[in-house]
Amino acid sequence: MAEPNNADIKKLTFERAIEELETIVKRLEEGKVPLEESVAIYERGEQLKRRCEELLRQAEARVEKITLDSSGKPAGTEPLDVN
Amino acid sequence: MPTLLISHPASLAHNNGPGHPERPDRLRAIESVLEAEKFQTLVRVQPPAADIEAITLCHPRDYVEEVKEAAPKEGMVQLDADTSMSPGSWEAALRAVGGAMMAVDEVVTKKASNAFVAHRPPGHHAESVRPMGFCIFNQAAIAARHAQRKHGLHRVAVVDFDVHHGNGTQEIFWSDPTLMYCSTHQMPLYPGTGALSERGDHDNIVNAPLRPGDGGAQFKEALESRILPRLQAFGPELIIMSAGFDAHQRDPLANLQFVEDDFAWATRKIMEVADKTAEGRVVSVLEGGYDLQGLSLSAAAHVIALMRG
Repeated sequence: MAEPNNADIKKLTFERAIEELETIVKRLEEGKVPLEESVAIYERGEQLKRRCEELLRQAEARVEKITLDSSGKPAGTEPLDVN
Repeated sequence: MPTLLISHPASLAHNNGPGHPERPDRLRAIESVLEAEKFQTLVRVQPPAADIEAITLCHPRDYVEEVKEAAPKEGMVQLDADTSMSPGSWEAALRAVGGAMMAVDEVVTKKASNAFVAHRPPGHHAESVRPMGFCIFNQAAIAARHAQRKHGLHRVAVVDFDVHHGNGTQEIFWSDPTLMYCSTHQMPLYPGTGALSERGDHDNIVNAPLRPGDGGAQFKEALESRILPRLQAFGPELIIMSAGFDAHQRDPLANLQFVEDDFAWATRKIMEVADKTAEGRVVSVLEGGYDLQGLSLSAAAHVIALMRG
């Protein structure tokens, strides 16, 4: 069950967040959301989208670091702290 | 000729239950701001209840009878996830339809220059056989067909600036080349319809969806570039506004950023088209708007524009 203030979203994995976002988009497009809840569900969808984007940016930063460090010698595997 | 303000106390007896955003205080807030001195020249009238025959212009008789039978003598009956009936709802619904029809009669026969119908429940989500989204009967659509049947008008348009798409009006008008439906609304949002690609069987549906966060600038662009040219080309002999004020920045049920002046601007632009094609004939029926301050001040700005103030 979602927490009312959407605080749970910050703890979601990418897979869980994208899965819930897809469900929300489908429900909004099919008109299966009551009018009164529509805006709250849309706003949760926006936060899920931001969570997915944040996780993607972190993943890209890690990949980028390995690429940039591979100058002849194998790069370290230490993850880049993007926070 | 005066601007009419059509309302009836029966609207206040329609109750969706405690905590529901579509509540009687919405109308009390509008009535309160319209008591100011600058609104003294409004002619205030109460509408009769519509008869069932009139409602069948847009809803099958079976549907109307089902709604009538669902109306409770006490307590509440839920018609859909958002829409309920209380003991006062049946009369409120009939007076709301009666008000929209009266507005058409008075404006088309030149007894009034235009009219604002301040009623509940709203109507634009009500499809031909389905109540939804706080709506039971589709007042705007019935008023359009009433103008055709009783007064012989050929082409009537509804312009809907409520923040939600008027799926009901779109559904009722879809296959009728004599009726045009134009809408600006937030997408994505309830009820999920209103994409640009939804154009009706005769290119008679014009949807101009706005993105969450959009404000007056995007609204004006959508109206000026997409809706008004199509509206004028259609040549309506009467324009009915589905006047919802929930695109206001204060509204809790959506994410658009309109201010009062945006509604006044849109009202004037739609009236300009009516002046060119419809001898100025405009009828405005209340739809949504759920922040009492945003709703009442926006409705006031809308009415001032109707009064050419």
